[in-house]
Amino acid sequence: MVKRTLVAISLMLAAATATVAAEPAKQAPATPAASTPAAQAAAPAQTAQAATPSAAAITAKALVPGAAVAPAKAAAPAKVKPNRAITMTMFLAIIGVTICVVVWAAKRTTSAADFYAAGGGITGFQNGWAIAGDYMSAASFLGMSGLISLYGIDGFMYAVGPMFSFIAILLVVAEPCRNAGRYTLGDILSFRAAPRTVRGVAAISTVTVSLFYLIAQMVGAGKLMQVLLDIPYRVSVIGVGVLMVGYVVFGGMKATTWVQIIKAGLLMSGTVLLAILVMAKAGMNPFRFFDAVVNSQFIQEHVRMNVLKDAVPKPGFHYGQRFMEPGLFLKNPLDQISLGIAWALGAAGLPHILMRFFTVPNAQQARKSIVIALFINSTFFFLINLIGFGAALYLTPQLISSVDKGGNMATLLLAQQMGGGAGSIGGDLFLAFICAVAFATILAVVSGLVLAASAAIAHDVYVNIIKNGQADQHTQVRTAKITSLCVGIIAICLGLAAEKENVVALVALAFAVAASGNFPAIMLSLFWKRFNTAGIVGAIVVGTVSAIGLVLVSPNMTYPQKIADDAKKVIVALEKKQATGAVLTEKDVTALDKARADFKKNEGGTSMVGLKAPLFPLKNPAIVSLPLGLFAAVFGALAFRNRRAEDMFDEVEVRQITGLGISGASDH
Amino acid sequence: MAGATINWSEVAQHPKYIELKNRKRNFLFGWWIAASIYYFMLPILAGYAPDLFKVKVVGVINFGYLFILSQFVVAFFVAIYYTRVANDFDRLTNELVKAVQ
Repeated sequence: MVKRTLVAISLMLAAATATVAAEPAKQAPATPAASTPAAQAAAPAQTAQAATPSAAAITAKALVPGAAVAPAKAAAPAKVKPNRAITMTMFLAIIGVTICVVVWAAKRTTSAADFYAAGGGITGFQNGWAIAGDYMSAASFLGMSGLISLYGIDGFMYAVGPMFSFIAILLVVAEPCRNAGRYTLGDILSFRAAPRTVRGVAAISTVTVSLFYLIAQMVGAGKLMQVLLDIPYRVSVIGVGVLMVGYVVFGGMKATTWVQIIKAGLLMSGTVLLAILVMAKAGMNPFRFFDAVVNSQFIQEHVRMNVLKDAVPKPGFHYGQRFMEPGLFLKNPLDQISLGIAWALGAAGLPHILMRFFTVPNAQQARKSIVIALFINSTFFFLINLIGFGAALYLTPQLISSVDKGGNMATLLLAQQMGGGAGSIGGDLFLAFICAVAFATILAVVSGLVLAASAAIAHDVYVNIIKNGQADQHTQVRTAKITSLCVGIIAICLGLAAEKENVVALVALAFAVAASGNFPAIMLSLFWKRFNTAGIVGAIVVGTVSAIGLVLVSPNMTYPQKIADDAKKVIVALEKKQATGAVLTEKDVTALDKARADFKKNEGGTSMVGLKAPLFPLKNPAIVSLPLGLFAAVFGALAFRNRRAEDMFDEVEVRQITGLGISGASDH
Repeated sequence: MAGATINWSEVAQHPKYIELKNRKRNFLFGWWIAASIYYFMLPILAGYAPDLFKVKVVGVINFGYLFILSQFVVAFFVAIYYTRVANDFDRLTNELVKAVQ
């Protein structure tokens, strides 16, 4: 009965994942603003570029409204051109070092505790770097600085969520989970509930969240490598996939942690160096630096033309100062609050982060690791803000958006510039170094995700549900390795299949599911006496399903009718221009052809779930799905009272507060 | 297993345990809620009071930028303060563990 239900739920979630992943890539329609006569007249010397689908949408929010206007000096579309020989050498060096780590870790990985939790032998300091590394993904390293370079302070506001999520983790999640758990989310939740049901649900949730995140990372990785090394998308996805599977299968948590620590160290060095170079250029004076940003001609023009779309400048309006004010990118306050909830609570429910608390020997070390991670990440996000503004100041937003519309190449371009410019040895070296760091970042983050997903399948489903907890160490480790291999292969296949898909929704989804399902389940399990199996299942199922459901009908999805409508506007604008007798430029003709094709293809079309327009107005569902998950948790727990769970609360509480019996919980 | 010898409900009645539990709960949830309120002021104020964010404080640096930086400072403060208080909790926990074992 339980198994059948689980199979049904997992099929449903798999179908939902497939639906989201199969969503066609968002096509940025050519906006009329770039080709209207007014814009042309106002900026005769400038080349208006028709918007094309973003080449590397690594960041979750890489949607740029409007077309890029390149300054005259960057009329030819710019590209990041790393020196291939140097970059390849650095990539190989990173691969070499990490393989040494894996070989070293493989010899020390013999038991299940070694594989899932590095035998509890990671120190708080090391774990702090590893957790910080989990937060410093390619999306934050490349995407966030890009957002700042194009939209100013709004990009910086993004950094506060990840940084602040450590407060919830530090105060109410890390230590209790360390004391009450063992390897997985299922271990924490199943303590006083029906173990098989709860483990099954927790495993499905873990696999769902990790796969969402993993697909987004794989697609981002493939596209990034494609741009940087000029190798085909397939080759890069398979390459990243093979390395990631190798790290996990042979080295388990020990190798995954050390790869993450090495990467975090490299990333911080690169970030610090880049930020110092940026500030040195402004004489290490932040006031002078921001003064220069606000007074930059290019930034002012970018804000006026590309962001606010004021063809004629508003008299007395300081467009440069506007760059330092919110609202250029983040338009809907409710969406921001919802995103804030997803960050503040969701990060604490992400399985691959939870797993890291079990790699340290005790709660004190878990606490220390979070404090260290908080310091590292705050520093990182602060420096990213300087790098982002620095990129806007020294490269100009026009150049950045002409290379990649989402701004994802800003950090890389800036490294090249600060190293001495394109073609110089310093520029090539620094660019290659930052590329290699981005590569290491992707490898480290995907490995952690594969490990979390396979731990849920091998430890919760196979060992504890199918084998009823009766499996020797050798079988456990072997199962975990086989599962990791399978998860890795599935991730590679999904990554390949999703090349042209819109994966930006997946990251938002992972966090929303973690915040709405996992977080209430964990908190109430640890702190509420009456909580029980029904509550856990209610929280996870309702939280997950409502988050996925809301995203499916949200503006994250592609709505062909909207693309058709936008294309129609372009067609009307250009035909009007043609009717006045003006001769269309080559760009306009291309734009017109593209708009006509888009219109024909998308007219009358509906989104994945058959909608013409979004039903739910927000991109981030947590503000609705968290209350739903929480309600289901409380309702389920009260409707199906369970005496055993209530009687066992004393034990759970004493364990989580004091750490008593912790060796009992982590012995085999 | 060490856990087998522990009488959980007996520990749960221990006066030291009750003191530890209450102090931890008040401190942790109190600071968590306070810090969260401060954190959510950021999207709320940025969304509903954008004019406040535009007030220039030092040169071109405005309230909004400083408010974002203050979030980092608050997080640092909570983390450091908790690390200090936690030493106290650890001491209480150790006393309790010695008393019940």
